Amino acid sequence: MTAQLRNKKKSGVKKTVTFSDDTTISKSTNKKKTDFMSTNPPVFVRKTPLTIPWHLIGLLIFYIKVSKNYNGEQLLLGLIPMQILYLIFQFNKSTIYGKKRLKMNTTLLLLSIVGSVAMSIPAMAIAILLGAPLVEHLRSTWLMALHSSFLAFPALYSVVNCDFKVTIWRKYFIAIVVGGWISCIVIPLDWDRDWQAWPIPVIVGTYLGAFVGYTIGAFL
Amino acid sequence: MLGRLGAALILQLIAIFIFCLGFFPQKKVLKGQAEFNPENLDRLGSNREEPVFNKFILVVVDALRSDFIFDSHNSHFDFVHSKLNSGEAWGFTAFSSPPTVTLPRLKGITTGSTPNFLDALLNVAEDDQTSTIKEQDSWINQFLTNGNQSIRFFGDDTWLKLFAPANETFQEWEGTNSFFVSDFTQVDLNVTRHIPTQLQEKDQWDTLILHYLGLDHIGHKGGAYSHFMPEKHKEMDNVLKDLYENVDPDTLIVVMGDHGMNDVGNHGGSSPGETHAGLVFLSEKLSRFPKPHSQYETIPLNTPVTADGDKTFEYLTQVQQVDIVPTLATLFNVPIPKNSVGILIKDFIPLLDKHLREAKVGENYQQLFTLSNSMETVNVGLTVDEMYEKMRAVQENLTRNATDYNYRALVPGYVILVCVTAYCLILAVQRMRLSGAFVALLGISFLTGISMFGSSFVEEEHQLWWWVITGSILFTLAFRQSSWHTTSSCITLSLAVRLIRGWNNTGQKTTYTYVIGNILAAHPTIKWNLNVLAFLAVCQSNTESLMSFCGHIVLIVVALAYKINWALVNKENVPVYAFQFLQIIGRLIKVNVGEDIENLEEALIPLARVFYRLVLSFTVVKIVLAKIRLQPPHSLIKDISKNFVVLLMFLSSTSNIPQFLIFEIMKVCITQIIKDEYGSDISITAIVSLILQNFTFFQFGRTNSIATIDLSNAYHGISENYNIYAVGWLMVISNFAPALYWAIYPWNITYVTPTGICKARWLRFAKGKLPITLFNGLVGCCLLAACVALRYHLFIWSVFSPKLCYYVFWNLFMASIIGWALEAVLLLLV
Repeated sequence: MTAQLRNKKKSGVKKTVTFSDDTTISKSTNKKKTDFMSTNPPVFVRKTPLTIPWHLIGLLIFYIKVSKNYNGEQLLLGLIPMQILYLIFQFNKSTIYGKKRLKMNTTLLLLSIVGSVAMSIPAMAIAILLGAPLVEHLRSTWLMALHSSFLAFPALYSVVNCDFKVTIWRKYFIAIVVGGWISCIVIPLDWDRDWQAWPIPVIVGTYLGAFVGYTIGAFL
Repeated sequence: MLGRLGAALILQLIAIFIFCLGFFPQKKVLKGQAEFNPENLDRLGSNREEPVFNKFILVVVDALRSDFIFDSHNSHFDFVHSKLNSGEAWGFTAFSSPPTVTLPRLKGITTGSTPNFLDALLNVAEDDQTSTIKEQDSWINQFLTNGNQSIRFFGDDTWLKLFAPANETFQEWEGTNSFFVSDFTQVDLNVTRHIPTQLQEKDQWDTLILHYLGLDHIGHKGGAYSHFMPEKHKEMDNVLKDLYENVDPDTLIVVMGDHGMNDVGNHGGSSPGETHAGLVFLSEKLSRFPKPHSQYETIPLNTPVTADGDKTFEYLTQVQQVDIVPTLATLFNVPIPKNSVGILIKDFIPLLDKHLREAKVGENYQQLFTLSNSMETVNVGLTVDEMYEKMRAVQENLTRNATDYNYRALVPGYVILVCVTAYCLILAVQRMRLSGAFVALLGISFLTGISMFGSSFVEEEHQLWWWVITGSILFTLAFRQSSWHTTSSCITLSLAVRLIRGWNNTGQKTTYTYVIGNILAAHPTIKWNLNVLAFLAVCQSNTESLMSFCGHIVLIVVALAYKINWALVNKENVPVYAFQFLQIIGRLIKVNVGEDIENLEEALIPLARVFYRLVLSFTVVKIVLAKIRLQPPHSLIKDISKNFVVLLMFLSSTSNIPQFLIFEIMKVCITQIIKDEYGSDISITAIVSLILQNFTFFQFGRTNSIATIDLSNAYHGISENYNIYAVGWLMVISNFAPALYWAIYPWNITYVTPTGICKARWLRFAKGKLPITLFNGLVGCCLLAACVALRYHLFIWSVFSPKLCYYVFWNLFMASIIGWALEAVLLLLV
């Protein structure tokens, strides 16, 4: 199943690669090279400050200081367009596939948005496995899952766009989960602050995790 | 290495023991009864003869929180409110210092002393004779000796324990007990029914003490806002009205709560709700004097809140609950009890004769300063206000230093522990190098150690272990996973731990209604099916010979029969097949389990003893067989650990036994992961065992508080004239049951190969013990430091000291007796 999917994808991408290829190379080497490129084209993220997702910090400040009662819905409405813009203007521009930057694929973009929404369900399952309440607060848990899956949205797009090379993009997902996981530490404290309520610390944690992940992901 | 590690362990135990000697000293109590200072007597001449009141009625309403009596939304004491407004009653909010449970609070109310940690421990073992305070000075004793007063008592039998023998203290008495918490009315009617007779005979007594338990019961069952509350308030209000209208103006009625409750209805800790109790003085005479300033507002009052909107429960004037001791002593003209740290409530000074005021405050002043061992006892020339200022400072000091710490034991204990831990660290660096296991161990020890400094982290330690366990699974999944086999094991494992997390309420912050334990209790058929499954799962796993399999079947059959019998005696529902099963087993082993409850009750002890004998004889037979080489030696380890697991299940409650089924599944997954991803490394296995021990310990419903020690499984097979040591052992084993399961888990991995026992077993033993010893040392260094640094902290007796007790048990029982002694004996046998 996965192999099939990968083959299909490979043939689709092959075209773009051959377009960009240097035609001066002899046919035999060319064949060899395209073969190499198509089976194992180097995909990486450039080490550039361009990948720093500053908007996440802005959104956090909005969430903590501006919005009333830590309004998660408003935050999500802000997050989705900003993540799309970040993908188009920052993250995708830093992603190198083969030897060139990739153009944005609108269909894929729309598909990834739908994919992110769908991914919130497994994300929710992971959150519950990691200790989120099962019976109570289901809605806030889902909201939190939506946040984390849209935080992973640029990585998700890139996974689909770059031949499902999961290993390169895995660290971004891990960073978000680790951020959420670490943030749980404040929940048991008896400070009785309103921001200790579920799921506020975890939302903040996933944002910070995503910020760190997208910033240093290229270096890992 | 084994010898050096063993020496380190012994030194560790010694260090902790020395530290505890200094940390939990017996409180110094001044002996004897207080008497009036002869100098003062001369100075006052005959003026002091007249007490302000000559009859006293004390009504203790258990858990009467301040808002129950003063709040406009929450209080239904209409009669008390009207009297407060007319000035015939004076109200206060009394701070009752933790532990806010009845026994220590009653000690405070009568002797005026602050409780020590031992009192809280003794509240668990309530039958203990040492709780009597007949020898200590109290206003009860002072009333008896000075006024030749006769005291009558009706209510909570804790009073009878405190003032045992009752016939020497009380002229007439009847105790009620709080055994049936679901009884809201009868327990109070049993007190109230005495009132008409007592009011008729009011010439025959001078003091009447009533202690009502119903309100506390409502709290425990339904919380502070239960719909039974208004009715109970009105009932108590009527009692007070009845009393007030039938006594003369020279009678003082005091209504008070011994402690409060939190909104869930529990108490014992130090939250505002638990520590703020109501206190009302009621007498017609009071209306002749100016009422306290804060009482000029119309009562009931609005709810006082902090800036953040939290309830403070601070209504009217704030006093310490112990202040009632010198106040009563002064109003009834008896000497102030010697160990009292209370201060005469200032609003009562106008009630005293003009010439006496200064002298009376002076008595209080001198008594306090004598208690605090201060040189500065002269009060000549001080005005009343100056004396109050100084007394408040002394009181604060005395309440904080309820116990003196013995620094000459604290310091050496701590120093030895630090040295031993440093030595263990060196050993670990030599042996483990900078391996992943070493880093993980340091990380976990560091986290646990740091968390010891935060009271809420100690209360919610289960969160930390949950955090560590999910972290380790995530780590394996993200960085170590090499095959689909591991992935599926990790997913199964995370499902299993999530199920276990949802099994019981633990920690002291939140309680959930929908926990699996409660759901199972409501559905007995599912529960018993799971129980049977759990026993079978343990029985079938890892079996090699048919003989030991049959042996274990016999064991679990008897254990199940006993558990069913126990459930029936406790009036739980069991499925029909379980009952029939019990009948068959009863006939087989010739124990009479008839239809009625008495037969069942009588069958309990023989059944349990049959089980214990079976466990013992199987173990002995197994050892003999292995010794004469009829069976391979490595099967000995397997079979003995299985015997032990069945014993642990036998000592767990039926709603927790299904967790062992999950444990068995987890065991398979973890063994696979350790083998495939970590090369069966001994240190890793030890660390995994350590994490699981702690995690499951808390998820069985235990916390770091004394309140959650489970006594219900400590009496299996123990007859009436029981042996306290046997009960003690069973209590420790049953409370640590899940931790014990995981403590013996490494045996198989560490010592057993497919064909026999590993070579160099003692080296492997030492390797496995090193991480645990180091962990205990590092955490101990932090915990002991926290106890010393926070020794004047508000929560030292409610949070940190219980944690220290648990730590001692983890060290002494889990690490030394099970980890070293039991395992070493086993290794010597194979």
